[in-house]
Amino acid sequence: MSKRYRKLDILGEGQFATVYRAEDTERDNAIVAVKKIKIGQRREARDGINRTALREIKLLQELHHPHILGLLDVLGHKSNISLIFDFMDTDLEMIIKDKSLLLPPGVVKAYSLMILQGLEYLHAHWILHRDLKPNNLLINKDGVLKITDFGLAKAYGSPNRIMTHQVVTRWYRSPELLFGARLYSTGVDLWAVGCIIAEMLLRLPFLPGETDLGQLSTIFEFFGSPNEENWPSVKSLPDYVEFKPSPPQSFRDVFSAAGDDLIHLLESCMKLDPSKRCTASQALQSSYFSNPPGPTPGPRLPMPRSRKEIEADIEHEIMASRKRALDDSQEGQKVAKRLNF
Amino acid sequence: MAGNFWESSHFKEWLLDKQEIEVWRQKDVSYFSSSEDYQKLMIFFANFIQTLGGEQLKLRQQVISTAIIYFRRFYSRHSLGDVDPFLLGPTCLYLASKVEECGVVQPGTLYIRCKSLIRQKYQSIYNQDYSYKAQLIMECEFLLLEMLDCCLIVYHPYRPLTQYVTDLGQEDILLPTAWKIVNDTYRSDICMLYPPYLIALVAIHMAAVVHKKDVKAWFAELSIDMNKIIEITNLILDLYKMWKSYDEAKDVPELLAKMPKPTKCGSPGEPTPSPNK
Repeated sequence: MSKRYRKLDILGEGQFATVYRAEDTERDNAIVAVKKIKIGQRREARDGINRTALREIKLLQELHHPHILGLLDVLGHKSNISLIFDFMDTDLEMIIKDKSLLLPPGVVKAYSLMILQGLEYLHAHWILHRDLKPNNLLINKDGVLKITDFGLAKAYGSPNRIMTHQVVTRWYRSPELLFGARLYSTGVDLWAVGCIIAEMLLRLPFLPGETDLGQLSTIFEFFGSPNEENWPSVKSLPDYVEFKPSPPQSFRDVFSAAGDDLIHLLESCMKLDPSKRCTASQALQSSYFSNPPGPTPGPRLPMPRSRKEIEADIEHEIMASRKRALDDSQEGQKVAKRLNF
Repeated sequence: MAGNFWESSHFKEWLLDKQEIEVWRQKDVSYFSSSEDYQKLMIFFANFIQTLGGEQLKLRQQVISTAIIYFRRFYSRHSLGDVDPFLLGPTCLYLASKVEECGVVQPGTLYIRCKSLIRQKYQSIYNQDYSYKAQLIMECEFLLLEMLDCCLIVYHPYRPLTQYVTDLGQEDILLPTAWKIVNDTYRSDICMLYPPYLIALVAIHMAAVVHKKDVKAWFAELSIDMNKIIEITNLILDLYKMWKSYDEAKDVPELLAKMPKPTKCGSPGEPTPSPNK
């Protein structure tokens, strides 16, 4: 890497990059995250600086907001390139999955608020994130949530610029993207926010489809299939396929613990017709955020146990289950013996 | 990108001060007989980038203009001797085409186009074989990114220009002339000194004078400092005066001969150029 940043351990590995935890030796050994972009295929190596990384650098250099993860530094050596970020302790996916943590209404509200504030800022700068999901929402030990991963983000608003529809991790992908829309807007991000808030309530992915087509049926099972009435222009989308007419279910039945104001917010974020979805600013104005309970303050937001603790736990559990298995088999033998007798 | 100019890196980091540019440039200017000679050489390279990007690679004007800005920003803080402008120019086009996300330019194609352009058009000026291959362009790309402090999004006067002219309602008469004036500002430091919207207004003002259109009332409503408009207009007029005496075939070979040569980098076959380290 470089002399300035001392590598500590690997935090994670994705398709395009490996992320390390490192110490910044020129800043009192402050902990930072180093995202090292993979060089990838030989074909890519012939194309200079990785385009995804370049897109991220270009956008992050212009964005400064408490809920957007800022770029601290860029390192490079030949075709290797690393982006340096503030270290974030955890992400929303870890928090949702850690069943030992409670997510009371104030906590859900605090996270929803921070996501929407970051998103409002992005949209005000004419940037679509296009890949919002719980593990792109990082959280530090002070409970501050920051949106990250701008490798798929894109400037929007230029007329007639065709965009790709192969964006956004499937479960958070909006129906217009799944139908192959090439002209889409902020609605794709609001749909994803709706999915994320729903996931905080359910503690499980709200719409887990297994294929792109399966994703659409999962969506329509809940929202009802699209028709001229709920989504007038749907049939003109490139990959439109007709689904068997089905009635919508009610949010109230699925999210029984949620208040009316939150149900209303979810409904506004997740209209089938993207033109009817609310904007991030409208979502922030909704009564959900002005009604009690207030959002839980940052320092009181939950923190999952550290990675080591979780690993120790898993190990403990494996040992325990092995022991159980051993006991069971011994018991089984005993039973068998008894039967033999 | 149509973000907020006032919060952009263009506004915060890269609107340069005339004096600041002159101080950085002092040493390079000393290789020539006057600061005007340096300006003429920069006109030549801007033209070179324009021809390479436009005629050869068919890139959009926005991409070419971004490339010229990268080029000027680089040499506003570095000597012409640090990296050969014949390598940096194509590299700027390469990076700009990636940043603006308008079609893909392969560095290999860039090399071939550049080589053939020089053979066709600049044989008398650049009398050696062009040898900055794809690998060198990609190495130089990184250096450029670093020298730009990773500030890649550049705002141009084109968008405000079209908006203003539409509002003014003299589109067909004023727009072509004003557009040309805007393009001309990339042949001087003006594009680094002033925010793009001001340059757009100056171009409209000048175009109105050329076409004898009365735009006083429209400008009066803008509540901008007319002294600034006049200051920029004078700089553009200075540019035109100097440009008149610019004779590419005669001046440029002489200027190139005087230009400081890369000592440790930028020459073919050398490793990554890194003047800072």
